[in-house]
Amino acid sequence: MLEVKALRKVYGSDAEAKPAVADLSFEVAEGEFVCILGSSGCGKTTMLRCLSGLAPATSGEVLLYGTPVTGPPADMSFVFQDYSRSLLPWMSVARNVAFPLRHKGFSAREARAATDEALQAVGLAGQGRSYPWQLSGGMQQRVAIARALAYRPRILLMDEPFASVDAQTRAELEDLLLRIWERFGVTIVFVTHDIDEAVYLADRVLVLSAPATVRHVADVALPRPRGQLETKRLPEFAGLRSELLSSLQRERAAA
Amino acid sequence: MSQALQHQTGDGVPAAPAPVAGRDRRGARWRGRVATWVVKLAGVLVTLSALELASRTGALPRQWFPPVTEMYAELAGLVVGLPLWVEVGRTLGGWAAGLLLATVLAVPAGMLLGASALAFRLVRVVIEFLRPVPSVALIPLAVLVLGTGLETKVFLVAFATFWPLLFQTIYGVQDVDPVATDTARSYGLGALARFGEVTLPSAAPYIATGLRIASAIALVLAVTAELVIGAPGLGQAIIVAQSGGAITLMYALIIATGLLGWALNAVFSAAERRLLHWHPAQRREAGL
Amino acid sequence: MTRRLAPVLLELLVPVAILVAFGLWSAQADSFYFPPLTEIAREFWNTWVFAGFRNDLLPSLGRLLAGYGASVVLGVLAGLVLGMVRIARTAAEPVIEFLRALPAPALIPFALLLFGTADSGKVFLIVLGTVWPILLNTIDGVRGVEQQQLDMAHSYRIPGYARLWRIVLPAAGPRIFAGMRTSLSIAIILMVVSEMVASRNGVGYFVLQSQRAFAIPEMWSGIVVLGVLGFTLNWLFLRFEDRFLFWHRGSKGLLSTDRR
Repeated sequence: MLEVKALRKVYGSDAEAKPAVADLSFEVAEGEFVCILGSSGCGKTTMLRCLSGLAPATSGEVLLYGTPVTGPPADMSFVFQDYSRSLLPWMSVARNVAFPLRHKGFSAREARAATDEALQAVGLAGQGRSYPWQLSGGMQQRVAIARALAYRPRILLMDEPFASVDAQTRAELEDLLLRIWERFGVTIVFVTHDIDEAVYLADRVLVLSAPATVRHVADVALPRPRGQLETKRLPEFAGLRSELLSSLQRERAAA
Repeated sequence: MSQALQHQTGDGVPAAPAPVAGRDRRGARWRGRVATWVVKLAGVLVTLSALELASRTGALPRQWFPPVTEMYAELAGLVVGLPLWVEVGRTLGGWAAGLLLATVLAVPAGMLLGASALAFRLVRVVIEFLRPVPSVALIPLAVLVLGTGLETKVFLVAFATFWPLLFQTIYGVQDVDPVATDTARSYGLGALARFGEVTLPSAAPYIATGLRIASAIALVLAVTAELVIGAPGLGQAIIVAQSGGAITLMYALIIATGLLGWALNAVFSAAERRLLHWHPAQRREAGL
Repeated sequence: MTRRLAPVLLELLVPVAILVAFGLWSAQADSFYFPPLTEIAREFWNTWVFAGFRNDLLPSLGRLLAGYGASVVLGVLAGLVLGMVRIARTAAEPVIEFLRALPAPALIPFALLLFGTADSGKVFLIVLGTVWPILLNTIDGVRGVEQQQLDMAHSYRIPGYARLWRIVLPAAGPRIFAGMRTSLSIAIILMVVSEMVASRNGVGYFVLQSQRAFAIPEMWSGIVVLGVLGFTLNWLFLRFEDRFLFWHRGSKGLLSTDRR
């Protein structure tokens, strides 16, 4: 469903400027959960901005269902890393979730129903009237996920969404995301720098090196449904983990 | 608020991540600065030309609004003569005396109220009632008691600037990092030494901000006093020019007053930045 | 009960003491400039209930609100444009800096020339004096909008007008209100001064005329009216700001817990 072909992104018009994304190509199948793994500063965020249509590519293209992405597509949602800055503090939780819906053509009743359903799916039923700043970090990121879900996307792009919450909350949010993925049948492209998180969540892990280009692909054939204890105890989990770690270390040594 | 337009050269697109040769980058920054100045100059020129044109074509009635070139010619004539500087001196005299009086009263009072919760609670209601009283309401009373000279001007300036100075000082003292005070205490510094070494330096940036705000208010009140009660100074000169039908002179004097305000603000902003450069904390402005 | 009452009494101690002391002193001082408090109170009642309210206070308030309202609308609109268009901001900067630094009362003769003693002149003067703090703060607020909030809106295909109305404007709200608070004090000053210099009614006119006629208790009652007016408008403004910006204080952790 999502095809990235020879994507290249250079900031500025300077001829000597180094690209942030260089010759990046991969595909994501319908319903797939793909994690993109890369160390910080390898161009992950720039890549996501190009995939989501927020920033134009310098060359190459991104195709969603065969159509080139030139602006943010209607059936894509983006979950940002910094929830505290992507939620609007002057709107209640429910208003935050419903905000994009009215502009997508939902009626007031449809928007309310979609909001309630999404908040319930992330475990925040009854919190609609609170304000984001009254919630903990993990709950705020749930609101951001609920907003993304209520938008009824077919693909969800997530930019290190759990990077700034504590370990316990992070594990809860990972399991929540897996349940949502199974329930809504949405395709997920999830960017992270955490190897365990990538292996635990994904069907397939792509390792990026700077400037963003795919250096290594690992298929994750771990059984589903997954669990924090059971899955991470499997020998295959440990094998994938060390495979990806050595791949990342090779990249870092080369850089 | 005053820095609103001062830090705008750095924003825009993310800079290219790749290192560029030092000379090129300096060249680019220099070109950027020149471009900014060209745009600023163009803005001024377009505004002045539009006013000039409006006056010459009669879109703005010429007897009420002469061409700006004539106003500036008049101003240029004034600048080389003594009388303008005498008026500027009179206005600045009231400005300085009032500001000084307010500072001498407000800073110690603010220190006391900032340091003592009891003192603050005792006078809070009085302050809350007096602060919003428009200073100009006191003009008639001041004229009765103090006459129409310098004393009234100084009183009005002092009354109006007392409040921002008082509140900035209170904020400054209340905002002293308790860790710094505790550290000083643990090193055995006495109350007086703590005040001099910790409280005063911590509150200084707030007081500097208060002085900048107060200096602008002080000029407003000095000119107002001259306009309304006829105390000598720029404000009186403006109203005399207007009632005497010397319209171009009136505009030249208004421009001179604006330039004076601009210069005072520039001086106080620069002083404040020098005081602030070591101070990472956010400043809050107490407002007028 | 006493525990709740004690702080209130403590705070009222000094103001009541000052009032009583001034009342006692003025009653026996027989000073021409400082008439007895009771006389000022009587004059206040005679002058300002009904007649003065209609003849002087209402016209003053009308000019003030017209000028201040126009300033808010103009300052916010222009601030939005200049905040978003960098070249326009750069080009306008020197002119704005000059006009902001110009003490607004210096423009009274200019307004007199253009409008005479008509109300429009005073409204014009108030606009000219109060628009700059609002404009500059709006520009600052607009430039301080989180890029990520705009990216979020863009990625959800929120149209431009909604981004402006629902994101840029609320995000700039705290700065806009800061500018509006500064401007409100300036507006009251300009209202009073313009009435003192060029008017046939209004509280400022009344106060100055009373002084010139040596009607001292009347003058005092007018000063009290101006004080009460300044206090009331300030109080209303703060309530208004509280309503619009409670989220701001909340998100900065400054909201007391009993608020919601």
